[in-house]
Amino acid sequence: MVAEAPLYLDACATTPLAQVAHEAMEAARQLAWANPSSLHGFGLSAAESLERSRHSLASSLGTGAEAIRFCSGATESVHLALLGAAATLPVGRLLISAVEHPAVNAAAAQLQRQGWQVEPIPVGPTGLLDLGVLESLLHPPTRLVSVIAAQSEVGSIQPLTTIAQLCRQAGVLLHTDAVQLAPHRPIAMDELGLDLVSLSAHKLGGPRGVGALLVRPGLRLEPLLGGGGQERGQRAGTEPVVLAAGFAAALAAARRHQLDGTSQRLEASRDHLLHDLLALPGVRLSGPDPTRQPRLPHHISLLLSDGQGRPLDGRKLVRALWNEGVAVSSGSACSGGSGRAEPSPVLLAMGWDRSQAASGLRLSLGSWLEASQLERVPLALERAMASCGAAAP
Amino acid sequence: MLAYLDHHATTPCDPAVVAAMAPWWGEQFANPASRLYRPALEAAAAIEAAAAELHQGLAAPSGAQVVFTSGATEANNLALKGLAEAALSSGNPRRRLVSVVSEHHAVLDVLRYLERHGFALTLLPIDAQGLLNPADLQAALDPGAGGPVLAVSVMAANNEIGTIAPLAQLAPLVHAAGALLHVDGAQAVGHIPLAMEAWGIDLLSLSGHKLYGPKGIGALLVAPGVQVAPQLQGGGQQGGLRPGTLPVPLIVGLAAALKQALADREGRALRLAALRDQLWTGLQALGGLTLNGPPPGPQRLPHNLSVTAGGVDGTRLHQLLRRQIAVSSGSACSQGSASHVLAALGRTRAEAAATVRFGLGRSTTAQQVEQALRAMADALDQASNRSAASRPER
Ligand SMILES: Cc1ncc(COP(=O)(O)O)c(C=O)c1O
Ligand SMILES: Cc1ncc(COP(=O)(O)O)c(C=O)c1O
Repeated sequence: MVAEAPLYLDACATTPLAQVAHEAMEAARQLAWANPSSLHGFGLSAAESLERSRHSLASSLGTGAEAIRFCSGATESVHLALLGAAATLPVGRLLISAVEHPAVNAAAAQLQRQGWQVEPIPVGPTGLLDLGVLESLLHPPTRLVSVIAAQSEVGSIQPLTTIAQLCRQAGVLLHTDAVQLAPHRPIAMDELGLDLVSLSAHKLGGPRGVGALLVRPGLRLEPLLGGGGQERGQRAGTEPVVLAAGFAAALAAARRHQLDGTSQRLEASRDHLLHDLLALPGVRLSGPDPTRQPRLPHHISLLLSDGQGRPLDGRKLVRALWNEGVAVSSGSACSGGSGRAEPSPVLLAMGWDRSQAASGLRLSLGSWLEASQLERVPLALERAMASCGAAAP
Repeated sequence: MLAYLDHHATTPCDPAVVAAMAPWWGEQFANPASRLYRPALEAAAAIEAAAAELHQGLAAPSGAQVVFTSGATEANNLALKGLAEAALSSGNPRRRLVSVVSEHHAVLDVLRYLERHGFALTLLPIDAQGLLNPADLQAALDPGAGGPVLAVSVMAANNEIGTIAPLAQLAPLVHAAGALLHVDGAQAVGHIPLAMEAWGIDLLSLSGHKLYGPKGIGALLVAPGVQVAPQLQGGGQQGGLRPGTLPVPLIVGLAAALKQALADREGRALRLAALRDQLWTGLQALGGLTLNGPPPGPQRLPHNLSVTAGGVDGTRLHQLLRRQIAVSSGSACSQGSASHVLAALGRTRAEAAATVRFGLGRSTTAQQVEQALRAMADALDQASNRSAASRPER
């Protein structure tokens, strides 16, 4: 173990709770602890807090408060979006990108068992959707499209405006998993004409255990959870008022950061670190090149190989880097058990071979980091690579 | 100061629980699914400790699985839809579900959903005290009544009228028929004794905010060998049964709340039962009130009381009460529509509207009970336009 405090470079997995979120939750805990469905004064205070959070989120996302359905997180949100919308449609075809989060793939698989045809849309080498293929399939029986707005493993940002236009023209519903985009870019839901948008609070400085599905007003949705009829009958269960307050405060802060220079500073730190890392032997970039293509501003993803050009094992590297005091990820936090790295389906879809696709490393930064703290990262990676390379069979 | 007497709708998160969660909102924030570095391993250990706390606190059988959910609503949905789906996909031929008319919407709604998807549903009636008749259950469990029963869902305690179900007596009937017993324990866990294994409960739902824990967290306990199909997928957390990034602070808070609730449960139950009895005695003296549910005693939650003011305009009554005490006219989640529980007891719509549910809790004092009695006396006076002279002696 190293003497310095470990560096947390895994924002895409989860972010520390932002101070403003903490404060908003503390205030809600004192004043808005009751059940927002209760009709007495305590309940009304809770309902008022919940509605204030709803309005705040909505205005951060370019839509009206009536669009927000609070739920437990993005896993639930994407299931509600896809299964809930599909249940109101005739059985048809669902298009998804080839680089979705496992939660979307799982919901799609469930629809497949219900008779839906699921067609993955291929992506290019930087993880961007092949719009030609998308367009060519936007006709019956296609009724639903789900696209990850920003990819968690490789940081690609999809051209959502164009995708939304194509879907709207074709009269096909569009869901986007905006979990990784929302912390960094404005989402103008109404202007873009998005039908369904999934978000998770803990990826943007808010608390775990709360997320939202944004639903275009008027869109019908079959609820996943039966019960007390909360959230316009589309999501039952007592609303987590305190968590919602933290969620709203965190997103509002993220929006401010895009205006007050914080995001730009973070992006500059990322660019600097990326430059230094790419100067190391055996290190190359995966996903879009941020000097030329849209990429999440805090995101670095690398493919690593040893002196002979043989791909290293991404999971071993994560452990080795932790021993150097740096917390990163080999891709999606949720994929797989322990042991040797499995090739990442996302990297495979982008055209890397199996061993390259198991050599990925992701570093995702956040506003809790000082630029100076990042200076030791290149050396740490070099040492980690050396230790893994030596241990390789 | 308004007295909060609505602890069935929700309970305030206890300061000790807030304190237990605090470090997890702060420094220790890593994602427990990233099992590759130490903070993540610490988070995973905290979750295991919380699961062990629930397992032990609810006297679950060894090998039972603790599945964290967003609350009792999700736990009930997971239990019932999960059982049904697992039966469908494993070739288990049981296609009947049995429950009780007075269950929470988070059970009834799910059962009706399953009814629309090919399961036969039998809802048992309740008697004047809110109890189901074991003979009715026995009859419903007879395969001759329409085929073999997959599961029976009975709430441990009713959120409106406080009826405690004799689960230990019902479970053998359920098991003798080869069916499984699901129990919605949202209003019981932390309030009355509950022993999952000894009572023969196969699946048990609970919610944090009903036992002085945080909102947004609950759990489903599943006895070993019981097959439940996940309702959400992707990410693989919780053995695939309920994926999604685990809300470590809330999980730690749920366990802390349960631990504390079990530690003070007996003393609290005695104290609140005495206060509740004081309330009931005072209310009886006001006259014109009918008790809903069992008489105060072992068949009723110690902190619950539900009364109906006959011939009184319920809207007016509650408007008046709201100025002095926080109570409920029924289930908090079913605002607008008349309570199905009160309807099952034979109350009319008007009577249901003129019903007052009291839920006492950890912070309730004798002064608040006095305050509630004064509030009821005033409100009844004004709502029924009875003059003080015509009111029975107190
Ligand atoms: C793109 C994306 N979608 C969905 C999820 C699932 O989010 P949650 O863990 O909040 O359910 C994640 C997080 O892992 C993600 O990165
Ligand atoms: C008996 C019962 N079951 C389930 C629930 C639902 O709990 P939650 O809203 O926390 O999901 C409640 C609370 O309203 C309840 O009283």
